[in-house]
Amino acid sequence: MIRLRDVAKDYEQRKVLRGLNLAVDAGEFVFLTGPSGAGKSTLLKLLYAAECPSSGEVWVAGSRVDQLPRHRLHQLRRKIGIIFQDFKLLRRKTVLENITFVLRFHGLSPREAHRRAYQVLKRLGLHHRQGAHPDALSGGEQQRVAIARALAYQPRLILADEPTGNLDADLAAELMSLLCDINYQGATVMVATHDHALLESIPARTLVLHQGHLSYDGRWPP
Amino acid sequence: MIRHAVAEGWELIHRRLLVTLTLASALAVPIGLAGLTFVVSQWLGPLVALRSERSTVAVLLHPRMDHAQREAWRQDQERRHPEWVVSAVPPEMLADRLSRWFPYLTDILRDDDLTLLPPLVEVTTVEPERVGELLSSPAVLAVGPRSALNQLIGRTADRLKWTFLVLSAVLLASAALLAGIWVHLEVYRHADEITIMRLLGAAESTIRGPFVVAVSAPGILAAALSASGTAVLASVLSRLAGVVGLPPLRTHWSVILAEVVLATALPVLAAGITLARHAREELEIG
Repeated sequence: MIRLRDVAKDYEQRKVLRGLNLAVDAGEFVFLTGPSGAGKSTLLKLLYAAECPSSGEVWVAGSRVDQLPRHRLHQLRRKIGIIFQDFKLLRRKTVLENITFVLRFHGLSPREAHRRAYQVLKRLGLHHRQGAHPDALSGGEQQRVAIARALAYQPRLILADEPTGNLDADLAAELMSLLCDINYQGATVMVATHDHALLESIPARTLVLHQGHLSYDGRWPP
Repeated sequence: MIRHAVAEGWELIHRRLLVTLTLASALAVPIGLAGLTFVVSQWLGPLVALRSERSTVAVLLHPRMDHAQREAWRQDQERRHPEWVVSAVPPEMLADRLSRWFPYLTDILRDDDLTLLPPLVEVTTVEPERVGELLSSPAVLAVGPRSALNQLIGRTADRLKWTFLVLSAVLLASAALLAGIWVHLEVYRHADEITIMRLLGAAESTIRGPFVVAVSAPGILAAALSASGTAVLASVLSRLAGVVGLPPLRTHWSVILAEVVLATALPVLAAGITLARHAREELEIG
């Protein structure tokens, strides 16, 4: 599902990722961890083509992302469910609309989009807030809407950047259980986090980034 | 997809209805004025033609020149200036022409002996000022008035025509600039939203559709305002021209059509360019 070959990413003089080689098979659950500034978010951005690598090859779902023409990026991104650290919700739309809006440009009819959005909101315990705008929600609720949106169109790959950052322990556990469930159904899941408790909660493959290098690849704790 | 574009586009318009109406009016003004100045510049066209009308200048020759000398002088001038038509005024018309061209000779003309009158030739040319050069010749006593009114009108009309055409172009450029800046601000006001949509897998057509709809509506409104404004103002100017006996202004349908096309196409074009630029910048924004 994911292949990285000698990937490097520089921001002017600063080297964020260096010579990164990595392979994640379809259906795997992977944690990506490391200290702040280790390059976790950058690596995720390379995977959903929000950034271009300075060198190397990035392959996602059979497509070479770094060479994908701009007009075909949306085809790649439709295969990926992204849970952003800063949620990236549309302020002028309600909770329900934030989800139906995305489902509509994924080709669902308005009725089907509405049905599926409500279903996923109910699953995340947010159906009672479907008419609220993001600004009226707490950080945790916004986080759950972002998660609901990423899960709604049943992507083959889920990339989550600090998905439990704004959630309390119970909700975090609930979310991880949801991600495991989705992974069990066949989706590949990559979760970037620096929360060690989260790493210990699920026995999954863990990738540790340190100063742009992959310093560990295996079960947690090392 | 069209339904989605219309619904989202309408939402964008509806949220800023007053701004949209103001911008439509602001766009209509330069386009409408550009059309009007173009109509005026075309109206001046026939007056410009007066510039190339021939004028006649009277040349008073030395009285001691006999007929043969006058004829030789006339032929010499026509050889030097092929575009001139030099004709001697016959004696029976001399008094009349002299009083017209040289009113200060009235005293001489009162004299009964017309044989004392100096010989007169008339030069017909498109460049009457150049006839003045003849004053340096010893054969010439005086040269009559050389500034023809029709040429003055023609030259002024020509300058005005070009001024109006340039003004028309400047107004169109300002309309394009206004549309560009407005759409640029509108797109970048929604930049985060557009970036989110792209990251979530929206195709470019899905992103552009609502903006095209949102900028088309004020564009169509601007087209209606500018076209009707031009027609009304041209009619008012036409009436004013009629009062002073000038021909009426004619607003050709192609001017109105050009205004409609420009007012609707400029914002859409600006939206296309701005969104394409935004898409190029997306990777840099991350």
